[in-house]
This record gives sequence, structure tokens and C-alpha cells, in this order.
Amino acid sequence: MTCFPRMSRRQWLALSAAGALAAPASGWFGQAASAAAATRRRSCILLWMSGGPTQTDTFDMKPGHANGGPFRPLLTTVPGLQFSQHLPRLALQAEHLAILRSMATKEGDHQRATFKMRTGYLPQGPIHYPTLGSILSKELTDGASPLPRFISVAPYRFLSPAAFGPGFLGPEYAPLIVGDGNPVPAPGGGQADDSQGLRVQNLKQSAGINRVRADARLGLLEQLESDFGAQRPDVPALSHRSAYRQAVRMMRSESVSAFNLEDEPASLRDSYGRNRFGQGCLLARRLVERGVPFVEVSLNGVDGQLQLGWDTHQNNFDTVKSLSSTLDSGWATLLGDLHLRGLLESTLVIWMGEFGRTPTINSNQGRDHFPKAWTTVLAGGGVRGGQAVGRTSADGNEVADRPISTGDLLATACGALGVDAQRQNMSNVGRPIRLVDPEASVIEGVLG
Amino acid sequence: MPRSPIVLLALLITALSPPVRADDVSDLAARIDRLIEARLSAETVTAAPTADDAEFLRRAYLDLGGRVPRSSRVRKFLADKNPGKRREVVDQLLDSSLYVVQFSNVWRKALLPETAADPQARVLVPGFEGWLRQKLAEDTSYAAMVREIVTVPLTPTGNPQQQLQLRNRPSPLAFYQAKQIKPENLAASTARTFLGIRIECAQCHDHPFDSWKQGEFWSFAAFFAGMQRQGRGGFLAAISEVAERRELEIPGTDTSVGPVYLDGSKPLPSETRGARQLLADWMITAGNPYFSRAAVNRLWAHQFGIGLVDPPDDFTADNPPSHPEVLDLLATEFSGHGFDVRFILRVLCATEAYRRTSRLTDPSQGDPRLFSRMAVKGLSPEQIFDSLAQATGYVPTAADRQLAIPGRPSSPRNEFLELFRDESSRPTQQRTTILQALALMNGSFVTAATSLDRSRTLAAVADFPAFGTADRVEALYLASLGRRPRPREETWLVLYVDGGGVSKDSRQALADVFWALLNSSEFLLNH
Repeated sequence: MTCFPRMSRRQWLALSAAGALAAPASGWFGQAASAAAATRRRSCILLWMSGGPTQTDTFDMKPGHANGGPFRPLLTTVPGLQFSQHLPRLALQAEHLAILRSMATKEGDHQRATFKMRTGYLPQGPIHYPTLGSILSKELTDGASPLPRFISVAPYRFLSPAAFGPGFLGPEYAPLIVGDGNPVPAPGGGQADDSQGLRVQNLKQSAGINRVRADARLGLLEQLESDFGAQRPDVPALSHRSAYRQAVRMMRSESVSAFNLEDEPASLRDSYGRNRFGQGCLLARRLVERGVPFVEVSLNGVDGQLQLGWDTHQNNFDTVKSLSSTLDSGWATLLGDLHLRGLLESTLVIWMGEFGRTPTINSNQGRDHFPKAWTTVLAGGGVRGGQAVGRTSADGNEVADRPISTGDLLATACGALGVDAQRQNMSNVGRPIRLVDPEASVIEGVLG
Repeated sequence: MPRSPIVLLALLITALSPPVRADDVSDLAARIDRLIEARLSAETVTAAPTADDAEFLRRAYLDLGGRVPRSSRVRKFLADKNPGKRREVVDQLLDSSLYVVQFSNVWRKALLPETAADPQARVLVPGFEGWLRQKLAEDTSYAAMVREIVTVPLTPTGNPQQQLQLRNRPSPLAFYQAKQIKPENLAASTARTFLGIRIECAQCHDHPFDSWKQGEFWSFAAFFAGMQRQGRGGFLAAISEVAERRELEIPGTDTSVGPVYLDGSKPLPSETRGARQLLADWMITAGNPYFSRAAVNRLWAHQFGIGLVDPPDDFTADNPPSHPEVLDLLATEFSGHGFDVRFILRVLCATEAYRRTSRLTDPSQGDPRLFSRMAVKGLSPEQIFDSLAQATGYVPTAADRQLAIPGRPSSPRNEFLELFRDESSRPTQQRTTILQALALMNGSFVTAATSLDRSRTLAAVADFPAFGTADRVEALYLASLGRRPRPREETWLVLYVDGGGVSKDSRQALADVFWALLNSSEFLLNH
């Protein structure tokens, strides 16, 4: 008995297609598919809240109830819609936000919940499900940008590494990761200007190696690679070629100036927040502007440390207050900046974590994992903003109206991006997998 | 005629040496091969042929010694006519300091996975790796090593400041510190690491797939009930233990539970020794099937890239081993040979399965879990840097020899370890990132290593007067890929170098060749 199906010829073909074997002969120097796409493709920015953000202290306030906690609600620019007092700048952008207050999921463990929210599926035997960024960037790319199609800022991958990778789509669809080192503390305490933390290192050819010589070297390398790779169509070898090809293409493009955050006015950088999340949001705008279809920015901790910052079992209110301040500056400035540049209509912004937190406050002034009734947010392109969708009960413990599943959320995101959620990719076990669970349906009234 | 004293001495040594019969290794390897091959023929899979000497040597060096062989070693091995030379080189490697360093990395990653992801946990590395190196150098058995971890005395250790000063002292204490001294973390890690059992999902709810219940989880955690962390101080918080405490309260409930082993049995009420002693006694016996199986499976996964049970620490009912008989056989022999890790490694390296080429030679070789050809594995960060250093003649500095600690001035080695750190994937799924490719193409280390002024290997090869161009190309191949160029490669590259490349300078053209070799997947992967 085999417990893992044998790889079929079809899978070999799929693997080859996903990897380096499909490269044109002039692999290193391949030109962009078309200079300019006829219509602007849509882009997606995922703001990922590591640890599971509390809905009760952000977007689903329960004023007057014991579960409500000390935060006060704040009126927004949309009548009837209230956010937490610690999200004042987002309150001014409320017209762009659709607050989905009736998320109803099942996973209460970080690892499984992170996997489910980020891939749309539960870990199942041998199938390597790809992360959202890999799935959507594959659909959204037009091949025109010399930058990687999926860039991830500061992901904290430890608990659920598979939820951050390209899975069966293969190395070609893996993210370029920046900012996952720890920030350097400023001499006097606090966080130093973090622009270097989001730079891509080693983009320039070594001193003394001119372009012609670099091409000659790459020619030699290509010859060595084709001999070795032809006999070993395995992930490590395919991924090596794919990474080199993308690296060379990136090195030789003007678009890498996206990473020069110091080209932006200091006041705008201040407004985003001089921290990894804020500057990550600014980078996201610069990347989207240059045609990158998917960027994710993780908010892990106030000080930029890699951790599950929103996992507030203790001391929820102090922590959430400071996280909210970081979130508010970064996200609100991003929306305003995208809007100003005419990019917001073509850019979907998703805000989510792996689950919400208990409306009940525990004895450590904390809130625990809570998948039963919680909040995510869609904003920008394709979304009818200025509304709350669904409702929770007065104590926040139950969904009172229109429960939304993970699949529903992802199907709606696909809808906003103009992507067919029922398209299929061939998986590593030779079974086609739809982008989003076919049971899911687009949430009514959210698409604009 | 009286025997000479030397012969007598030799006889005496033979009599005293461990009870490994000379043919134990090949006997067991042959039995494993028969099981693997029976499965291959049942599935009508054609196995790949045996790897040539150069492919085997490079693989054995990387797996057991953590870096590529020097070119002089390759030349000697290729010239050696002794049919037993593969076995010999494995024995030499296992007796060398390379093995001690490589396997202290391997065990550290298995036992302290936290240090891969959490930079703060890395302060724990030096003390723990120092301890592992000591144990490996002393040839401590696996069982004794694990017993020492599970039973290490926890005397009160003072404040974090004192801890910080003591952190580099060799000790297995880091196992506890990395788990933040929490009984539930320690229980989960102990079960997963030493028994291959994942019980942690039962921490919060009954396990959806397996038979562990929440109560069983906390009863197992009760073996660590006496542990206490004092005050703050992150990973270096002070620890103490009330050894006789046996009751643990399930958080969020009013229920307290006492220690119960995972097989449902309990320590005798008359038992007065510390709970961790009792746990070690139960865990580490030839009679506990989980203990040996988890260990040999980990070693198999290290050598073959994929465990017999895979992922290697997930022995659940819905994740059966690919070759249950091989797993049982190895587990039995492991405990029968005094839990000797090196014995198992000798056996694995002696199997035909390990000696197969990694080339795909037949379309039937698709399923990696049948071991019809060797898997292509990514290198660990340490393997990448140490191989680059070996190939380019880089002499490590004092800073390179220090283990990477956040806040310490960086060294080329530590920068590589950081850049190539891979917290996620199995070696057969390991991916090169764009950032790694950029560092290897343009970074200062490879730039220096391929510069005629600064690279020892390159300068020596380019300037050795007795060499013709073909010799120079061959020398670079041996240093990097551990093999001679194939005739077609030689012709093409000699032509390139003699033509001087684009610089019209044959020495610079040789540097181009070396750059390409060091950037190739053949160099950067274990195959």
C-alpha cells in the first residue's frame, strides 16, 4: 500500500511548468511579456495581524457591556459606523472600509488557523496548499513587472511556516521576503530609522565586474545548470534556477528603486509611522505603483520584533492600544496615499489575522483565542466601503447575522480583484485544487 | 614461536573493542536493501544505478562532515583501488572532528527548534552546542545523552545577570529554557522530539485525529509539574524545581492531575525519586518502541532527506511509515547496539539505497518515498558556508568561530547563517530565495573568493607553474564540485579560458569559471 500517491507523468509536467524548465532559452535576459498591459491589473495588499487581533477593541465595539473593556467607541465619517478610539485616522477613511463583523470559523489554534486563513484550506495529508499571495499573484500578474510578483514584508513564519510558502505552485511563486530580520535599536532606545531593514541587499554587481563580464559569467552558469538540472527535476534544483533568474531580472531593472524609501518626503514617511509596519505599508504602495500584484505586510509587534503581537492573553488593553497606533498610522496613510495617486480603485486591501479574541476579558486583563465571531476588513478596489457587514450579539459571543466563512472571505476578495475563484491549479498529488473552496460564496453586498 | 607484544596488544584491543562484529554493518545494510528492493519491484520501479565515487564521497562528506571534501581528498579517493574504500571513508568521517561539529548542529536543530526562529532564543545556543560537542566527542550513547537532558538537575540558577554569565557553560539546560520552563511546552517537546508523538493539540482540546485526550496531555505534562520560572528575564529567567511535586492544574479548570505515562501506566505511589527521573526510566528502555523508532527515523531522514515516517516527528496513525519493517529492524538494532548513533550511520551509508545516484534515470522514479534514487537536498546554512570556505581556501576568523549571537559583531559566517536560515522546509523541499541568489552572485564573500588578489584557491590554481589550462579547470572542479570535469565540459571551458573570456585575460576568465561553479546548483545542493 502506498500512502502517498506516486507522482504521475502529468505531475512531472506540472512541476516543470511551474519551475525553471519552462524558461526560454534566453532565460537570464528574458524581456517583459508586453511593455504595457492594455488595462491596469488589480493589485492586492494583505495586512496580516500575527497572533489574532481583538475585534471588540477595534472594529466591533461593545460599549456599555461588561465585555466592552475600557476603550471608547469613536464616530467615523460614515453615520452609524464606530471604531475604537485608538483608530482615529482610520475613522476618517471609513468610507473605503467594509467591516466584516460576522466571521465564523472553527480553528482556535495558531498553527491550524493561520494555515486555514492564509491558504483557504486545512492542512490535509500530503497536499501542499499555497499561501494566498502565491495563489493571487499567479492570477494577477501580467508578467510586465521585473520585480517579483509577490513580496512579503516582515512575515513571522515560525508557528506555521507552510502557511507562508508557495506550496504546490512551486518556487516560482514564492515571495521575496524583506524585513524579517530584527530591527536595530536606536542608540538612545526605541527603534532606529528602519529604511535599511527593508532594503534588498546585494543588488549591484560586484565592483570590477561590468555588465558584459557579468553576462559572460551567467552564460557559463546557465550551461552548468542545464546539465545538472535536466537530470534532477527536484524542488531544490528548480528553485535555484528560478531564484537566480528572478534575481538577475530584478538587478537589471529600474523598478528596484521601489525599495529606496528615502526618495519619499520625510513628512510622508513620518505619517506612515517610522516603524517596520508603517514603512512596510509605504513600500507596499511603491511596489503596487510599479506593477507588483501582491504585497503583504505583517504587523507582529509594536517595536518591529518578530512575534505574535496580537496574541494578547495578558495585558490586552495596553498592548492593543500601542498596536492600534502603529496600525492606524500605517494603514490610514496607505489608503489616503493610494487614493491620492488614483491607485485605490485598483488595489484591494485585506486586513485579517488568524482568528479574533474572546469578548470575555480573562483574569489577566487578556482576551483568548476566539474563532466563533470575529472581524476582518476589506478596503479599496472593488469593495463597497462605508459599511459593516454582519452582526454579533450584544455580548459579542455569537454571530447574530450572516455568518462568513474563510472561504466566503477569500471568494469575495477574488471577486473584488476580478479573479475567478473556481479556477484550478494542479496540486502536488495530481489532483486539481480550486483557488477557493467551491462551497464558499461571495458575501452579498460587499462588492462595489 | 612466541607472539610479538604488538600482536598481543592488537588481539587485546580487538577483544576489548565494542561488541560490533565486523560484518554487523554490512549484514544489516543488506537486510535493509532487500526490504527496500522488494518494495521497488512490487511497485515496478527501476532503481537508479550506484553513484560514482565522486558523487558518493561528496554526499558522505556533506551528510556526516558538514562540508565538501578538499580536492586532495577527492584525488586520493578516486585513485584508491580498495573495494572497501566507501566504508573506510565513512568510518574516518565518523571518527573526525567534522562529525562532532556537524552532528552537534543536527541535534541542536532537532532539540532546540526555537533557536531557528526566535533570535532571542539564540543566546541559548553556545552552552547547548558546547554540551552536545562534549557528548559527541566522548561518544556518549544516544540514550545516555537523552537521559542527561531529561534529568538534568535544576538547582536555582540566580538572576538573569548571573545566567547571562553562565550561558556559555556547556549544559543541556537550554532545552528547558527554550521551552520557557512551562510544563505543557516541555511535555509537548519531549513527546515530539524523543518519541515522535505530537500530543500538543490535545493541550486545548481532544485531538481530532489521534487518540490523545486533553486529560492525557496534562497528565503527561505533570512530570514537569515542579518546574518554576522566577520573575521575568525571557529565556534566561531563573529556574527552580520542587522535585517531589506531582500535581498539575489544568489551566482554566479546577482539575488537578497527577503524572501518567503515555501508555496509560502510572509511577508507583511508593516511588520517591523525582518525576523527571521516572519519566526518563520509562522513556529510555529497549522496551519502549517509540524511543528507538523516533531516533532511527530522524537519522534516516538526515541521510535520505525524507524520513521513513515523514514528517519525521509525526508518528500518528494517519501517517504510517513507508517501510515499517525497515523502521522496526533499525529500531531493534539501535537498542541492541547500545543506542549507538554512529553504528546506525555506518549502516545507512553502507546501504545500496544510500549509494544510488541522484540522477533521474527512469520515469518510474517519481515517488521519493520509495528511495529509488537519492533525493536532492538543500544544504544547511552551516554546510553552505563551510563548503564555500573549504572550496575557496577562506581561513575563518575568530569571529567566524563564535556562534551567531544577536548583538555580537557579525562575521561572514554569521551573515551567511542568518541569510540561509531556513525555519520551514524539509531538505528536499528547500528553496533558494532571491536574496540568497543575490548574495551568492554579488555579495562580498563570493566576490573576494573569486578575485585573483584575494582568493587562495583561485590564486594558487591560476599561478601554479606546472599546470596547463585543463589542469587549472580540473583543479577548480575538484575544489568546488568534488569531481573531474566531463570531457565536454573540459573542452568548452578550456576554450573559454584560453580565449580569455570577455576580459581577454585567461586568469580573469578562470575567475569567471570559478564564479559559475560556486553559484551552480551542483555546488550549492547535496545530491
